[in-house]
Amino acid sequence: MSISVLDALQPAKKPALIVLVLVFGLFVGAWVHGKYFSDRSPIQPIDFSHRIHVTDNEIPCQHCHIYAERTPVAGVPSVSKCMGCHNSVPSVRESPEILKLATYWENREPIPWIKVYDLPDYVHFTHKRHIKAGLACQECHGPVETMDRITRVATMKMPWCVDCHTEREVEHGRDCWTCHK
Amino acid sequence: MSKISRRDLLQYIGAGGIGVAGGVLYGEGVQRKVELLIPQVIPPEDYSPGVATWYNTVCNQCSAGCGISVRIREGKAKKIEGNPVHPVSRGRLCARGQAGLNVLYNPDRIRTPLQRADRGSENTAEISWDDALTTIGSRIGRLKIEGNAGRIRLLTGRTRGHLDELFAQFMNLLGSEHYQQYDFTYPSALAAANKTSFGTDVLPYYDIENADFLLSFGADYLGTWLSPVHYSRAYGNLRQGRQGQRGKTVQVEPRMSLSGAAADEWIAARPGTEGLLALGIAHVLVSSGSYTGNDRDEWSSALQAYSPSMVSAETEVSEDTIVRIAEEFGASTASLAIAGGATAAGTNAVASIVAVNALNHLAGNLGKPGGVILNSAQTFPAAAGSSPAGLQGALDLVAAMQAGDVEVLLVHDTNPVFSLPDNVGFRQAMENVPLIIALSSFHDETTVMADFILPTNTYLESWGDDVPDPGVGFPVTSLSQPVVAPLYDTLPVGDIILSLARQIGGELPIHMPWASMEEFIKDRWREEFDERMSEGQDQNFEAFWQAVLEAGVWGQPGAAAGGQPESSSSPTIAAIADPVSKFAGDETDYPFVLHPYLTATFLDGRGANLPWLQELPDPMTSVVYGSWAELNPVTADELGIEEGDVLEIESPAGSIRVPAFIFPAIRPGVVAVPIGQGHTSYGRYASDRGVNPIHIVATLMDKQSGDLAWAATRVKITNTGERLRIVKTDGVTRTLGRQILGPGNDHG
Amino acid sequence: MSTFVEKLRQYSKPGYYDEFDYHWTMTIDLDRCTGCEACVVACQAENNLPIVGEERFAQSREIKWIRIERYWEGEYPNIKMGFIPMLCQHCDDAPCETACPVYATYHNQDGLNTQIYNRCIGTRTCAVYCPYEVRYFNWFTYTWDEPLEQQLNPDVSVREKGVMEKCTFCIQRIRIAKDNAKDDDRRRVRDGEVVPACVQSCPTEAMLFGNSKDPEAKVSKMMKNTRGYTVLKDLNTTPSIVYLKKVHA
Repeated sequence: MSISVLDALQPAKKPALIVLVLVFGLFVGAWVHGKYFSDRSPIQPIDFSHRIHVTDNEIPCQHCHIYAERTPVAGVPSVSKCMGCHNSVPSVRESPEILKLATYWENREPIPWIKVYDLPDYVHFTHKRHIKAGLACQECHGPVETMDRITRVATMKMPWCVDCHTEREVEHGRDCWTCHK
Repeated sequence: MSKISRRDLLQYIGAGGIGVAGGVLYGEGVQRKVELLIPQVIPPEDYSPGVATWYNTVCNQCSAGCGISVRIREGKAKKIEGNPVHPVSRGRLCARGQAGLNVLYNPDRIRTPLQRADRGSENTAEISWDDALTTIGSRIGRLKIEGNAGRIRLLTGRTRGHLDELFAQFMNLLGSEHYQQYDFTYPSALAAANKTSFGTDVLPYYDIENADFLLSFGADYLGTWLSPVHYSRAYGNLRQGRQGQRGKTVQVEPRMSLSGAAADEWIAARPGTEGLLALGIAHVLVSSGSYTGNDRDEWSSALQAYSPSMVSAETEVSEDTIVRIAEEFGASTASLAIAGGATAAGTNAVASIVAVNALNHLAGNLGKPGGVILNSAQTFPAAAGSSPAGLQGALDLVAAMQAGDVEVLLVHDTNPVFSLPDNVGFRQAMENVPLIIALSSFHDETTVMADFILPTNTYLESWGDDVPDPGVGFPVTSLSQPVVAPLYDTLPVGDIILSLARQIGGELPIHMPWASMEEFIKDRWREEFDERMSEGQDQNFEAFWQAVLEAGVWGQPGAAAGGQPESSSSPTIAAIADPVSKFAGDETDYPFVLHPYLTATFLDGRGANLPWLQELPDPMTSVVYGSWAELNPVTADELGIEEGDVLEIESPAGSIRVPAFIFPAIRPGVVAVPIGQGHTSYGRYASDRGVNPIHIVATLMDKQSGDLAWAATRVKITNTGERLRIVKTDGVTRTLGRQILGPGNDHG
Repeated sequence: MSTFVEKLRQYSKPGYYDEFDYHWTMTIDLDRCTGCEACVVACQAENNLPIVGEERFAQSREIKWIRIERYWEGEYPNIKMGFIPMLCQHCDDAPCETACPVYATYHNQDGLNTQIYNRCIGTRTCAVYCPYEVRYFNWFTYTWDEPLEQQLNPDVSVREKGVMEKCTFCIQRIRIAKDNAKDDDRRRVRDGEVVPACVQSCPTEAMLFGNSKDPEAKVSKMMKNTRGYTVLKDLNTTPSIVYLKKVHA
């Protein structure tokens, strides 16, 4: 006579299956969300196109993001910086998006851009060091020059940072306090 | 595989659906909050995001006048450090100075002009600057036209430099002689005594840094006396700054202060007899032949009575100690005697300090490195200005208010209701003043009586200049600039005065045409510069101004100090004739001597609204948040008092209730209570916490200087039977052989 | 045999083979220290230490990365007070590091004993193991009364409930100094370029900070002073702070 636990488990089979389906559903849902509903490419207050500025008009990144090379922060251009050029570009002065810009400028209001690349407060990150190390902006930010609306291409999570530091053999690049603060 | 029933299938589909929805919701949940990236409309020129900028200005947390550097990131002040090029602070700063950020960002700051209907209540109504200035300006203007300008009074805290000049000019133009200062911590007695000893009341530079033997009578130079940061740095040098030579310090005081703890020898002479002890030491200096001046005979006869045996009996310091200290003092190449604290707060304060000064004279310490170096009164680019008037000044003001001679009282940066004894009756006298205007950043016990409160910028938001007092042996002026934009609808106090001048009209705006304090200071500096500096100088004023602004300070290290002190003997000898302090209250009814002491954190109470300081353990007791009364363990044992027993401490002038703290380094028969707590309306951090010992101090005075004799009150102690927990960090206060203080250094 | 010895050394002393640039060290001269507590406020300002309030202070839940301990010697009238600033000793053989179940505290290549707040799960084991009692636990998420939060140092994290924290030797300042050195193409920071907040503020210049791997550094010379000692030496924690005992005249 053999003793089997399978019989005893028989009544639990269906609930177990339901839980299994539920968990599978969770993964599917999270994937769907990440694929189609994420914050990687939010609608911005002005429909700004990096493609037009960088590819079509050949403006280098640091012409506008002026602090990137010398401070931790790359910096979004000030409204006055935008207007500095657009005042002298008559061809698009009447386009609706540029009119939006002009309105911000006339009201002396900043443009409430939505942040795409955001690091948590406990992370120390400096643009300066990465640029001085010879990294191109595109290595982290992707082909920005082709984007009409900016889209986050990297996870900006710790493994992503550490992988790169490991690959490039950054000195003390894996010491926690290199990035944590 | 069995067939799945329709019912089961629906269940599976349902579970899957819920799963997918949950997954999407999860994704939404872990998604970062939308953050905005706000650009500047027009970026400031010197701005770099994420990079700190340092601006130099002047600390205003006490009267020392340390130069400070403030770290600014994105327009916010982050940290205060000492300005490395400033000769007072030399890159260092005390706890109170660093807590200046708590002043700037204090949640209890007054943010708009306020009007109060009933005095003493906390209810106020907001009012616009225009309305406030018009109302006040017309009231003052009317008095001026009526020829009653003498009924206007301006009372400020210690004010120096051009702000002092502005106040004086404003009151002069109004036609009132009644601009006065009151500051509990101002050493009136020291200034008066130095006038007698050295012929000048400009505080000298005490060169602790180069001294070999420092004898301090009550002066807590490491915590609260005159210029603690500068003296601390000097103390470090005295101890370990010179190869193979370690200076010695001796501290005479009834309760061990920070300086007493640092001293090699701590002597608890009988309170009030410190001056006598100095005379005893002087006696030995002269009789042993250590002093060789021409007037040796004069000194000898004047000091005849103060033999070590007589002094020992009075001071309860052993004869051996007196002789030994005198010998060491006389034999040291650079010895220095200083007086402050309780020694300078008896009814004989001036006589005691003159006696201590005499030691410097007899040991030949005057004008020498490591001795007393005189400062000359400075006039360029700013002058030190007027001095606070002590208790006598306050009593005069109270008398005038009681007599109805004061119609308008302007109060700025001083809290006399808190820092004067209750007996003076400042608050009650204020009731007689029809209009009280407070120019202040915070509500306190004095502003609560004001009808109008005009909120001032803090010192970190203001322009100003300052001549440190005591100086450093050569001419110095510090320049302060706003390091952040004003947080609220407040104005610098100078701007308020200038606006009032415009409002009042007449000749005031003609003589005071400046739009702001900044303009006024720059204008005055330019005038002085053109007068004194332009010849032979190849720089123009703008370059000079810019350089001073960047450095935060102007100085002439090469320039001579005040020269050789006069120190003529005859007035000094005449002044030492009063060596023992009198006390309020007789010894049988009031067996204890009350020793209120200034703390390095709160000073006269002004620091109590700063949370960092409230939470900073007291250096000697480790107590936080509250008051305590220190008793010698033997005294406590006799009275059956334990830590936390609430005592009623009663003086002839009043009583306070405060928990006992057993303190091993206090003379039996003395009860010490720290000053600073006991506020009733000074914001959320200070109010209703502890007690204020100044309130029960009797209004005895040092006759010669008019200074409050705050260490001359006797008290009696009753154990109320109630208990209160004293919050402190210390547990075990002995090292128990763990050699924590170093091998062979603790025998705990 | 020799390889075996090498292996043994490697295991007994991790990092034995690696030669690093820095070993951050502090000296504190107790003959200069006056117990004024300027360093305590400097640390509070620099490192975003919270104000815990009277009630929590009474429960010994205060957070002070550096504190002044005081010890009495003798009885009145021959009584003396000894002050000693106590902060994380950054022990080379730190008991706390071996205790952490999640490696939230570890020794880095600069000789620093570091704490990663995100990693900490709040078992408080390290605090129990620390003989110097310089680790502080966040029993609550502390807040700042508005607008006091505007003072917070953006270079330092604000810690939350359930996290252990302690002195970092102002690692953010070390980081800035290294950053500046890299900008100037220097391999190492100069002596005196890194000054922790407490050292900077000290009015008597009792504290000194530097790289003890540099024999020319002031701190290396000061460490050799005959008055030098380490606290609780018997425990073999090998602290990175050398105290210079007070001279009794």
